[in-house]
Amino acid sequence: MSAMLILEMKKNLQDRGLLFWMVILPIAFIVLAVSIFASGTEEASKQDIILSIIPGYAVMFVFFIMISMVSAFLKDRDLGMTARIASTPLSPKLYLLGKWIPYTLIVFIQIVILIVFGKLVYQVPIEQPIFLVILAIALSFTATGLGLALGLFVQTENMGIAITQVIGLGGAMLGGLWVPLELMPKFIQTIAHFLPQFWAHQAFQDALNGTLIEKDLFLAVLIILAFGFGAFIVAILRYPHFLKQARG
Amino acid sequence: MLEIKNVKKHYRKEVALDHVSLTIPTGSCFGLVGPNGAGKSTLLKILASIIQDYHGDIQLTKKNDQLKRITGYVPQELCLEQTLSTIDNLYFFGKLYGLSGKELKKRATEVLHDIGLSNRSKDKVMHFSGGMKRRLNIGCALMHNPELIIMDEPTVGIDPQSRRYIFQMIQGLQSKGCTVIYATHYMEEVEQLCDQIAFIDRGKIIETGSIPSLLQKYAIPSVFAKAKNHFPNKIGEFGKITKRKDGHLIKTDTPLEVMEEILTCYKTNPKDLERLELVQPRLEDVFFTLTGSELREGNPSIRPENTIKQEVYQ
Repeated sequence: MSAMLILEMKKNLQDRGLLFWMVILPIAFIVLAVSIFASGTEEASKQDIILSIIPGYAVMFVFFIMISMVSAFLKDRDLGMTARIASTPLSPKLYLLGKWIPYTLIVFIQIVILIVFGKLVYQVPIEQPIFLVILAIALSFTATGLGLALGLFVQTENMGIAITQVIGLGGAMLGGLWVPLELMPKFIQTIAHFLPQFWAHQAFQDALNGTLIEKDLFLAVLIILAFGFGAFIVAILRYPHFLKQARG
Repeated sequence: MLEIKNVKKHYRKEVALDHVSLTIPTGSCFGLVGPNGAGKSTLLKILASIIQDYHGDIQLTKKNDQLKRITGYVPQELCLEQTLSTIDNLYFFGKLYGLSGKELKKRATEVLHDIGLSNRSKDKVMHFSGGMKRRLNIGCALMHNPELIIMDEPTVGIDPQSRRYIFQMIQGLQSKGCTVIYATHYMEEVEQLCDQIAFIDRGKIIETGSIPSLLQKYAIPSVFAKAKNHFPNKIGEFGKITKRKDGHLIKTDTPLEVMEEILTCYKTNPKDLERLELVQPRLEDVFFTLTGSELREGNPSIRPENTIKQEVYQ
């Protein structure tokens, strides 16, 4: 599996588009959102807005890794690499893990960069760093798990991009990442509880603020990870069909 | 060494392989020949363990060997990481077979030498010519010193020099004791490389044997003649005459008698006979005799699932 892992890491490090999607674009959005929503407000409410925007946009942009993952899997499928690797002793599970882990690492680094950016530029507090790391790992696992499942399911890259937008932007809107949930209709507040974005955002905010209790952390991590495990199981079940479609 | 027994494979209701049985001797270069969609690639994918849902048996004489461990698969597609270097591609495939450390480096150096890319080891694959990529594609399959090498049309789209180089590589592998299964529809490649061949069509093995035996069994020799004046009708009695652009081709079991007859006819005016030639039978004649000469593009009956789907999305 290490061969797969190193190969993917090398490819991703060379991909400048990934840097744009994962770091530059989120930072640009954070700066824009803070300047729009926090300007002209009192200092106390300004800090509340920033404390919502930074983890909110971090959680939202985490899911955009799915585009890169879809693209990588479809490229492998259509250029014959999937079939070629299937002819080697590497098992399907290790193949999927080898493709998945580098993306998880990238997303984890992305979350760290965005939170550190918030700390350095907007003086966001980081009161419970250990909890934040646990949450970042869980969120990375789930976002990339969904990317893995999506990569094996979609037939074309455009389909993958469209579904990523639905998951990323739809989840952000319904999960209270853009607008505080209290301002949303009741039914949307109910829907939010079924989305990983909502749990991640709430937990991140509380951990930054230092108000996240262990029980709530456990619950949030459990719910977030459930989506990731579900996606990985779906991916494993889907793999034989994906291999049948592969060229080569 | 390799016994393929009653292998059957369906794509939905379509039969891709229909009770395919073959014996591939150790150390041979075995040609698998057939038109597009005949089932060659499906059979190779089964041998390369890519397709696992099939019926039938594949047995190795060495019972303990795992097919995947001893097999090197060279697909028709260029399965290379274009943004990485030659050496990185070789390392990647070597590691997939469990090579590491000094052993990996040593083997990569040997393979680089064998594929003629020693001086391009650090260069990115994306800058390579088609022939270089093809050689590297083969090199990746050789990293673990396989005993059985499966090649699916490995010379598609390359220049004659690279092609000759690849042929020399294959002959070199064979001389080291490797067994090569070589799928193609280029008859001259088969004639040059293979000891034994199997013709496959519509999922069935329709004939197997050595090239001389197949030529003797199926190919009819012919005589080519080009004359200034009217071609003597009498010659038609000896065999089927086909008009060609610059003469006549007579397919006959008695070519020397036909030549003799033509010479007799032109004895008085030898200047009228511009050309007379004995045309030796070729494997291509056997191919057409066995598979027919009609176009196959319209027959999707035994195409793999992915080909059908990809056409839909194009």
